[in-house]
Amino acid sequence: MGNFSVITVSREVESLGDEVALRLSRVLGYELINREQWMALLEGHSPALSPEPPEEEGERERWMAEVGRLLEELAEKRAFVLLGRGGQRLLARCAKAFHLLVVAPVPVRLRRIMERYRQDEVTASRILAEQDRQREKFLLRFFGVDWRNPLHYHFVLNTAFYDVEESCQLVLEAMKRTRPPSLGQQESFFTREGFLEKPVVFSHPSEEEFARILDFYGIRWLYEPRTFPLEWDSEGNVVEAFAPDFYLPDFDLFIELTTQKQKLTWRKNRKVRKLKELYPEVKIKVVYARDYEHILRKFDLEDDHE
Amino acid sequence: MTMSDPRLGVRVFTREEIQRRVEEVAHEIDRDYRGERPVLIVILRGAVYFAVDLTRALTIPFDLDFMALSPFRLGLRRAEIEKDVDVDLKGRHVLILEDIVDTGLTLNFLVRNLERRLPQSVRVCSFLNCPVRRIAEVEVHYFCFEIPDIYVVGYGLDFRGDFRNLQEVYALYDPSGRSTQVLKQMGKGR
Repeated sequence: MGNFSVITVSREVESLGDEVALRLSRVLGYELINREQWMALLEGHSPALSPEPPEEEGERERWMAEVGRLLEELAEKRAFVLLGRGGQRLLARCAKAFHLLVVAPVPVRLRRIMERYRQDEVTASRILAEQDRQREKFLLRFFGVDWRNPLHYHFVLNTAFYDVEESCQLVLEAMKRTRPPSLGQQESFFTREGFLEKPVVFSHPSEEEFARILDFYGIRWLYEPRTFPLEWDSEGNVVEAFAPDFYLPDFDLFIELTTQKQKLTWRKNRKVRKLKELYPEVKIKVVYARDYEHILRKFDLEDDHE
Repeated sequence: MTMSDPRLGVRVFTREEIQRRVEEVAHEIDRDYRGERPVLIVILRGAVYFAVDLTRALTIPFDLDFMALSPFRLGLRRAEIEKDVDVDLKGRHVLILEDIVDTGLTLNFLVRNLERRLPQSVRVCSFLNCPVRRIAEVEVHYFCFEIPDIYVVGYGLDFRGDFRNLQEVYALYDPSGRSTQVLKQMGKGR
């Protein structure tokens, strides 16, 4: 299809992304690489590669380079649709790859889960939240990206408005009309790391300073990459949310930095408590003013702040 | 600068307590590295005092070396190794000696750096461990004392270059009284 012999499909849970990927592979005659094919592909490689990125940073970097090379070589020989697996990152710099993100609003996805699995709304929302979190965690942790960022994709499709067939037609049309960017242009959209290279606007100077300390020690970070809904009204609209300042993918840890005096932090503490209740698997650390002073004192920076 | 320096607060660990714990930790290291010859890497400058006492209490053979990391300063983008070890670490058991592990940022950097040199193992031995301040994950295999969220000096630990040579460990004076309160809960007081 046009200049693209590869389509990577990233999708929200129950967004019809799987169905769109399958349909596209059939219409175009592209091989579909889903979880099973992925495992066979990596295990068949010499030497065999693990299907998931390794935990250890050095090994993970080697794994990503090796898998990226394998996929780029495959793209030279065969046309395929790669479902999930961080394909948009692994092939971020491959000019033959078209990156598609399939999304749908929460109520639509909830309804699909309720119908598909015959579950009540509470159970369905729990399933949806859990699966969304797992997916988000995987990409943040191993690839250091906010996968919902539309700038990682050529095309973002909202299936609330289209069925599978219509969705495929739209994607095919988009593929026809998309000019593969030159490498120079491409890098500005799909950076190698996917983060740190875009300008970050910090809301407080202490956050910028903290980011510099993390950079200094080579610790990867993302600034406010995820907003956690904390409270909803009766119609399901989010009325309270919390976006921790930093996420450190190597430690799977969110950091909230506060320079307020301890007695003024009750509101933030309440939000953190709520977050821990609603998202028990999320690791978050609050760096209070006192902790931050310790850090500055340790790095002999406190004079600048007194 | 004396022990009556107004910048000093409550005494946290006495000479005797320090000596006893250093010997106990040395005994653990002796036991774990029996039959081996580890490379002990002292992180300059704070860990020197601890390293001297610890190594004197060890009975296993070891190689001693030193490392220093550039201190964080605005304008310097990345940490650099200012003083590197002279020993080839490939295939060796490495034991890092630190004065304190709190945020874990420095140590995490060092461990990653050392692991790239393909040692057989990298472990960490710290005089003090302050897990409540941890940001970067790092495993501290041996430590003498775990401390709460207070700023301490002495036995190698400094405040603006002072107090390193104190033979006991003190909390830095905290006008809010919080450090004293926390230490009282630990059963510590001057």
